[in-house]
Amino acid sequence: MTRADPEYGHLYPLLERYATLPQDDQDRERLREELVRGFLPVAHHIARRFSNRGEPLDDLVQVATVGLINAIDRYSPERGSDFFSFAVPTISGEVRRHFRDLGWSMRVPRRLKDLHVSINGAVSELSQSLGRAPKPTEIAEQLGVPVSEVLEGLEASEAYRSSSLDEMLSSEQGSATVGELVGEADAELDRVDFRQALRPVLAELAERERTIVLLRFFGNMTQTQIADRVGISQMHVSRLLAQTLDRLRSRLDPETRVG
Amino acid sequence: MSDLDSPSPAETLDGASTVEVRTSASAALIPTIRAVASDLAARADFDLDAISDLRMAVDEACATLVDVAAPTSSLLCRFLVRPERIEVNAQVQTKHVDTVVSTDTFGWRVLQTLADDVSVHHDPGGDGRAPTVSIRLDKRSSDVLR
Repeated sequence: MTRADPEYGHLYPLLERYATLPQDDQDRERLREELVRGFLPVAHHIARRFSNRGEPLDDLVQVATVGLINAIDRYSPERGSDFFSFAVPTISGEVRRHFRDLGWSMRVPRRLKDLHVSINGAVSELSQSLGRAPKPTEIAEQLGVPVSEVLEGLEASEAYRSSSLDEMLSSEQGSATVGELVGEADAELDRVDFRQALRPVLAELAERERTIVLLRFFGNMTQTQIADRVGISQMHVSRLLAQTLDRLRSRLDPETRVG
Repeated sequence: MSDLDSPSPAETLDGASTVEVRTSASAALIPTIRAVASDLAARADFDLDAISDLRMAVDEACATLVDVAAPTSSLLCRFLVRPERIEVNAQVQTKHVDTVVSTDTFGWRVLQTLADDVSVHHDPGGDGRAPTVSIRLDKRSSDVLR
């Protein structure tokens, strides 16, 4: 797809004009709309490429369209690059981020996803007010739903997992680290026999995973306390811990681990 | 008597509900066992930290045992659901009498942290019975802040 492309060729002058218009120009809105409508088939095309992963196509088209709008807004023709080579990764990136945010590893009905979201909210409110992780009955009471529904929602939450741990890590840099507490946990690690086997494997982990593992197993903190310190949800801590343990297990020499 | 030789009936012992899961001693089947563990804990109204801890502890215990299990043997996991706590006993047969689960490992540290109480038992077998190794875990329904 180039400037000569008959389907999009007429849009290029508009793109260039849009990029030069001042933010408050009255023509911007109209022009933007025309551009979005014109390039919409591109967003549809990209959305369809992701449509076999269990998300409704309508949702994907919507997300891809957001990506398209971002691409149109950020594109600067004077950099000399073709619009498509800028827009396609921008749109795909938006759709990927959507999947990452959802993180569902298997098909889960929308009702359960919604329930998961409300449970997550209730858990963080209750953890605050109770000072510990809530029980299913407490969550049910908070949400005004039967306990059976909370149990169902918690079960569905187990299906919620990032498709790629590393992808999730890179997307969530900047969550707090807890230097002083990790320092204490680290000192505790120095006192155990297996530290020589563990240290290099821990060093391979991303900072946040390492922090969580150290705080849980050497810093004597509960998942809820860690969630509070690191600034993510208890369910997320739980997931990350389970994933990291799994990873450590496969990385640690069985001889060392079993003894 | 080894538990694997004589499956105990799933009756209630001193008020505890009993659930037993027996699988091949294969890592591929551990997710099934840990799903049972977290389901039991959630239905017993454990707090979310305790549910997650028990799930991971069962995972760790079973992975440890599967590593030392005799080929083509089974893994027996018994859950005793008592008021306010769940007791887990996981057991495998081993090929050699001198197979041990070491307790100065990271895996053991994980178990000690996640469970309120954990111990390992080695049974040398004999009289035609295979030697066994079992890990016993105790988990309370609410994480007491330590």
